[in-house]
Amino acid sequence: MDARLRRVNKEIADCKNDKSSGIRIDLVDESPFHLKGSFPGPQDTPYEGGYFEVDIVIPESYPFQPVKMKFITKIYHPNVSSASGAICLDILKDAWSPVLTLKSTLISLQSLLCSPEPSDPQDAEVAKHYMTSKSSFEDTARYWTQIYAGGPGPKEKSDGKDEVAIAGLERAHVDRFEALGFQRGKVIDALRRLNYRGPNVPKIPDDRVVEELLK
Amino acid sequence: MSDMSDDNDYYSDEDMFDGTQDEDESGDEMELDNFGDDFKVPAKDKKKSYEVDYDSLSQQAVEKLMARDINHICSILGVEVDTASLLLRDQKWNKEKLIEKYMDNPTKVSVDAGATLPETGPPPPAPLRNSTSSSSQSSNRRTTRGSKMLGLGPKTKSPTSSPTISHHVPQSLKRASSKKAEDFFVCQICFNDAPNLQTLALDCDHAFCTECWGDYIVSKIKEESEHSIRCMAEGCALVAPDHFIRDTLLPAPGAPVGDVERESQNIAAWTRFQELIVRHFVGCNRNLKFCPYPSCTNTVSCPSAASKASLASTVPIVSCGARGIGPQDQEISKSQQLGFGLQGKEHRFCFGCPIESDHRPVICAVSKMWLKKCADDSETANWIKSNTKECPICQSTIEKNGGCNHMTCKKCKNEFCWVCMGPWSEHGTAWYSCNRFDEKAGVDARDAQSKSRASLERYLHYYNRWANHEQSAKLSVDLYAKTEKKMEDMQITSALTWIEVQFMKKAVEEVEKCRTTLKWTYSMAYYLAKGNEKELFEDNQRDLEKAVEDLSELLESPIEPDTIPTLRQSVTNKTVYVQKRNEIVLEDTANGFLEGRWKWNVAVDGFDDPEETVL
Repeated sequence: MDARLRRVNKEIADCKNDKSSGIRIDLVDESPFHLKGSFPGPQDTPYEGGYFEVDIVIPESYPFQPVKMKFITKIYHPNVSSASGAICLDILKDAWSPVLTLKSTLISLQSLLCSPEPSDPQDAEVAKHYMTSKSSFEDTARYWTQIYAGGPGPKEKSDGKDEVAIAGLERAHVDRFEALGFQRGKVIDALRRLNYRGPNVPKIPDDRVVEELLK
Repeated sequence: MSDMSDDNDYYSDEDMFDGTQDEDESGDEMELDNFGDDFKVPAKDKKKSYEVDYDSLSQQAVEKLMARDINHICSILGVEVDTASLLLRDQKWNKEKLIEKYMDNPTKVSVDAGATLPETGPPPPAPLRNSTSSSSQSSNRRTTRGSKMLGLGPKTKSPTSSPTISHHVPQSLKRASSKKAEDFFVCQICFNDAPNLQTLALDCDHAFCTECWGDYIVSKIKEESEHSIRCMAEGCALVAPDHFIRDTLLPAPGAPVGDVERESQNIAAWTRFQELIVRHFVGCNRNLKFCPYPSCTNTVSCPSAASKASLASTVPIVSCGARGIGPQDQEISKSQQLGFGLQGKEHRFCFGCPIESDHRPVICAVSKMWLKKCADDSETANWIKSNTKECPICQSTIEKNGGCNHMTCKKCKNEFCWVCMGPWSEHGTAWYSCNRFDEKAGVDARDAQSKSRASLERYLHYYNRWANHEQSAKLSVDLYAKTEKKMEDMQITSALTWIEVQFMKKAVEEVEKCRTTLKWTYSMAYYLAKGNEKELFEDNQRDLEKAVEDLSELLESPIEPDTIPTLRQSVTNKTVYVQKRNEIVLEDTANGFLEGRWKWNVAVDGFDDPEETVL
């Protein structure tokens, strides 16, 4: 299917030529059908200053079927799964049009960060957080931007309590591993990396956490 | 086609509140009659009480039904055929609702259906066409970009200038196309800029090259099974009318032969597209049901079973008229060398529920309940509950099948007392007696256990018989093969001709049929409330079962040349008898439903709740 290849090549080239949007598309390996897109977090949002990477897979029947995208960078957003990076966005599903390009889709993702849709969530827990307390949600989103997307601000917060709550962790969990003799900061870091959510989904055994801490 | 009677139907229906399913049963029968006998299954001589009236329709017959509805809408609303089709599809083929809504607000209805462009909102890039004459000018839409088009004013506008998509199009592309649009056209999907590029556009004038349109339509049909195919431009809700799809997919007559593979793929997509519309039509009409057999395209019309209420008293088993399972069927029969048997098996299914076989005499609701009970293995769980305990340490399930109460878990080597589940070490030297055993609790526990066991045994009684008949029916494939062999032997060892040994085949068919009936009678008996009616039912069931087993045994018996005439006589007699008994069971059960004679021991849709009786 050379039409697909021609189109993808042109899209990549166009994106390279256009420096103003800040959007980048890079090859992951030899194949032009597995790409990595990246864009800066939009201004005046908790994602400002972060740089977000997106995994792009071009299906066989592209551009007549939508491109498959998911976040590589961990992001705290109601329409993005905090565990897998899966994205809930209409143009990636039934509202896709063959006229849309990789770049325009990435721009749409960028604008999704400006205007979350908590009523149609991908990550129910994050959406609940957003609905109940927007400012607390924004704190967490900003913090995740700092630690995962290279956003500005201190990497380690001085106030230990805040740090635990804001990373979506529970004090009891952190205390438990701290009691095993690990540094508090290290524990928080490891639990964050594992997306530790306590005894509910997905269940992560203590051994796994300790293993991470010993790395 | 104008049809006075239908018009009358419409006007009289208007008085009903919504008329969704009141959709004139008489009208439907009449419609079917109009096709003549080409599509009909030959009617049986006499309708039995356990049979329903139905008709089998081929895909062409359903297409004719659709065409009737479409023409009807055309004549009433004064719209083009393709527009009427889009409107009907959007309104789920409900003519009355469509007419009512259309009279109310024609613009909204056709915009919602994607048949016309919205008049307000963002201005389209090219002058609007008249909404009613919107479709059917495909011929003049196939234009060749090149020297010819320079004269055409609106066409020179690039689709990217549409406000709905402009901000999504990369800057560089937009600049390129809008500046040079006067000179050449670049398809915004494949970026092909060949000077003689053929393009197509719907009434919205969002032009793309013909090849992209073709690939897009094929992908929508093949991968999404979609019959409503929108314009490719982002945010454009216009739906491609049928003729546009046909003209795009099918090569124009006399056109040069292009890519053969591509063309055959396009033709397959066009066939599939027509099938999808038929399926949509059938799916929206409760009087119709698509044959569930693989690769069968027939439809069955059974208005008498269309309402949910009717399913409480009838078991609408229908057959689409076709036989076999398509081309694979021949291979199966060849490989197994079956002269008869599965090959050419009737496409028999239930019109009222998703069960793809004959579940007479049991009504849909009860069959469904039974299958669910058998499938979800809840009874296995019950068995485990009443027979096993869990190791207090490792939670392994343990069945105690003898021996003392000093248990040692095989898995974790934990030693515990079966009675109190406490660690054995606490029992000291008091072997076989448990000082922590609470007598009261123990009696209660035993009572509960025996109760659950009784209900389990009852279930297993019915289930085993059900499963046994099912298994036997499955094995009938082997029986067919064996019987065929016997029939050959008979022709060799005796003076019987081929036609004279057919009694064996007839008997096997009858046995299989009766086993299916028997199988389902067990599910019925399980749910029937205790009483005289149930006893009578079980008497009939017993008689049939006995007759079937007798005949079955006879069929399995070895053949001796001397006894063939007597064998033939008795098999024929027994076959007739079995047939009679089967009829009695089916008929009596069906009549019972019509008379409201059956009472259940559980709540069933359409019946009174069971009285407070013991099972």
